[in-house]
Amino acid sequence: MKKKAAVVLTSALLLGLGLTQVSPFRERLEAALHAGGHEFAQVMLAQDKGQALCSQYRDKLPPDLIPGFLAEQKALIKYPANGKLMGDWRNGEKVFTDPKRGNCYACHAGVATEVAHGTMGPSLTGYGQRGTAEPVVRYTYEKIYNAWAFVPCSLMYRGGVHGLFTPEETADLVAFLLDPESPINRR
Amino acid sequence: MGRKKRWILVGVVALGTLVGVGAYTQQQKPLDPFEEAMRQRQMYLETFGVLPGELFAEEGKELFFRKGPSGKTLEECDFGKGKGVLEGAYAVLPKYFPDTKRVEDLESRVYTCMQTVQGYKPNEIKRDEVKAITTYIATFSSKAKIQVVPKHPAELAMYNLGRELWYTRAGARDMSCAVCHDQYAGQRVRLSPVRSPKQGLGNEWPAYRFEEDKLYTMEDRINFCYESIAIPKPEFYSDVHIALTVYMLAEATKAGHSFEELPFFTR
Repeated sequence: MKKKAAVVLTSALLLGLGLTQVSPFRERLEAALHAGGHEFAQVMLAQDKGQALCSQYRDKLPPDLIPGFLAEQKALIKYPANGKLMGDWRNGEKVFTDPKRGNCYACHAGVATEVAHGTMGPSLTGYGQRGTAEPVVRYTYEKIYNAWAFVPCSLMYRGGVHGLFTPEETADLVAFLLDPESPINRR
Repeated sequence: MGRKKRWILVGVVALGTLVGVGAYTQQQKPLDPFEEAMRQRQMYLETFGVLPGELFAEEGKELFFRKGPSGKTLEECDFGKGKGVLEGAYAVLPKYFPDTKRVEDLESRVYTCMQTVQGYKPNEIKRDEVKAITTYIATFSSKAKIQVVPKHPAELAMYNLGRELWYTRAGARDMSCAVCHDQYAGQRVRLSPVRSPKQGLGNEWPAYRFEEDKLYTMEDRINFCYESIAIPKPEFYSDVHIALTVYMLAEATKAGHSFEELPFFTR
């Protein structure tokens, strides 16, 4: 009995030691990141909780972590002060095409005349076919603002969360996708 | 070939590329990028009789045989297959070098030897020269089978580090190498095709990239990726480049790939 207790105690101590100490691999990784330079290391080491989980699980979260992950991501979504989730499609097109903000053509097809588009994301040409009912508008807004609130660790990045575009600009992007006048929906 | 002559030719090449891209975007359906680049390659060969990448290799050759402050040329450097052996050397890199006790890729090895063998100070070493020399040495491994098999403990450590970096998601675009180059391999970013290491990613460098009008080495290519995913590019010759290169080329080795001259590029 005493022996068993000793084993349990030793295991607990070892476990505690393991949890408090940075692993040699982690140390090596951090050293390599610093070798890449200060700015590089700063960004790579500033992972938020979501990015750290996606890295740890190679973009495939264990099922038991998914509900909590989605809830945390959903809580990061901010909305325009005026409450309008559909803004100005003309400005939306600017944000959509700007490589420093939306950069959406990197992965998605959009206006039919633009052939230099990526194929990693689904085509958005004619996206407005689904109408402008409130749930459609809300889903589109939230998906653009924080894609990880719907698909954990998706390729689509969290443009709103990272401030690549503001809530108002997100609403403009929604309009670019849904407004019947937008070139995305005109033939 | 003189530097000035080279830049005139590169300028003309850039103009040709722009016309090519223009023709490209006016089409209703995008052309196959590989076919289009093959056409451009052919055009340059017919017009100039030489590809821009070959001019960099030529410059690298001159620099390889240039005496440094110590009076030595790079013939005195071991690039992985013994002193002065260039044949197939690029195909076995990165590897562990006992003299520096470090795993090095070709670029960092050139950078090392320019200091330890030739006697240059780090601030005297121009990046463009390292690129040209790297290109010259790589020409001796054109079509060679990639043979990056981590065995030494330091090589295995680098491989594991590279794999971790490969999956690290960071920056304002939430990206990692893996999310595009594994999950979406075979798709396009804009018009550029994306490959995975198993499909041979990394087997085309160093190369002249028509699209960017620049000579790219593997390290340049890694930096281009980081910049385009909103992560500041790591400093050259760092363990970040070496680790990622070990990972990518070890995976390409397992899949049995050789160094290729992709249509978009040329050494």
